[in-house]
Amino acid sequence: MEVLTGWWDDYLWGAVIVAKVFAASLLLMVLFGLIGAAAKLSDNRVAQKIANGYTVIFRGTPEILVILLLYFGSAIVLTAIAQVFDPDIRFVDVPPFWAGTIAIALIVGSYATETFRGAFLGVKPGSIEAARALGMSPLQTFIYIRIPEMWRIALPPFGNHMLSLVKDTALISIIGLNETLFVAKQAITVTGKPFTMYIVVGIIYLGFSSLITLSVMGIEKFGNRTTVGAR
Amino acid sequence: MSFDLNLILDSLPKMLAGFGVTLQLLVVSGLLGLILAILLLLMRLSGKFYLDWVAQVYIYIFRGTPILVQIFIIYYGLPQFEAVRDSVFWSILREPTGCAILALTLNTGAYVSEILRGGVLGVDKGLLEAGSALGMSARQKFIYITTPLATRLALPAYSNDVISLLKSTALASTITITDMTGIARTIVADTYAPYEVFISLAIVYMIFTFGIQKLFGVFERYLGRYARREE
Repeated sequence: MEVLTGWWDDYLWGAVIVAKVFAASLLLMVLFGLIGAAAKLSDNRVAQKIANGYTVIFRGTPEILVILLLYFGSAIVLTAIAQVFDPDIRFVDVPPFWAGTIAIALIVGSYATETFRGAFLGVKPGSIEAARALGMSPLQTFIYIRIPEMWRIALPPFGNHMLSLVKDTALISIIGLNETLFVAKQAITVTGKPFTMYIVVGIIYLGFSSLITLSVMGIEKFGNRTTVGAR
Repeated sequence: MSFDLNLILDSLPKMLAGFGVTLQLLVVSGLLGLILAILLLLMRLSGKFYLDWVAQVYIYIFRGTPILVQIFIIYYGLPQFEAVRDSVFWSILREPTGCAILALTLNTGAYVSEILRGGVLGVDKGLLEAGSALGMSARQKFIYITTPLATRLALPAYSNDVISLLKSTALASTITITDMTGIARTIVADTYAPYEVFISLAIVYMIFTFGIQKLFGVFERYLGRYARREE
């Protein structure tokens, strides 16, 4: 335990970065998932094809490959663009935070696309007919009937997507994000205690996972408070 | 910025040379993971609280931490202890391949056992009652009723897990293993052409994923050959 002295604050800042990546990628993931689901459920053939391509590509490629491609790839594109304006620029560095956040949001967003699509299809036709009978407009039906029914269906798989996001954060350390795994690497070069340092990382991630699992359980209970016995 | 086709033609055979390593990681840890998953499942179904509890804690830990952290703990972490270096397992743990297979096995075992449990819990109670009425013992019911039906129920989710295992094998490249991703990263480090190399590799992985899906599709239809139009 003494070897950890002096490293606690580094781990704490690493954990803060994990939380930041999680928050940013969660927003993007929901956005990508909703756009993807909307495209798949739309009548537009082109939009359907694009959304299908999106889910096939990001569900079939290893996460690490997407992260590396986005990090190195966007650096090349941005350098090329920057050189148009100023030929003296040698290299534009892309912050690993954003390259990684967008990468994992795209990956998990492709899974969320399927979840949201399934959840929207799971809204009972009877509820929608009832809304129409009450004279609700399509927008009102969407806000008051579809969304409240849909998110309850989507919540359990959505909880798993959130767990994937937080665990994929560890992969971003490969492109140099100074989250907990990265902190551990530095601590090991100084202390020479790899097991201890990596176990701390494991415990931090386990803490994040537990927090998410508990929150999802709580929200699920809240969401189903009025439907007890209905299913 | 240009897209160099010759580079793809040049690097694709090099990357495919790592296909054997990727396949080995997938098949060996897939099979060992399945055995581990069945063991964990039996522990959870045993009705003995101490076995059930151990399995639950195991699953909680391995599903709650990133696979990359698990790989690092095993590969970099375990040699911290003299006892590990002196033990009979050292011949396996000294090799990065052995460590990768061990980590992937332990990880996939936790996920698959939950999938199998879902299958077992999904078996219709009425069929088990029918088994009891025919005078079957608990063991007979498990072998002749639960197992075949649970296999069929769990197969779609299991095929998804085999695909995520394939994607996880790419992480072996972080501990110096020259699987397809490892070779690709070396080529990118030499040529600095992430687009050509990583995109062509992503296509290889997608074809691999597609093949796995088709294979499981055939197996699923075979297992479901008596159950068509019955739901």
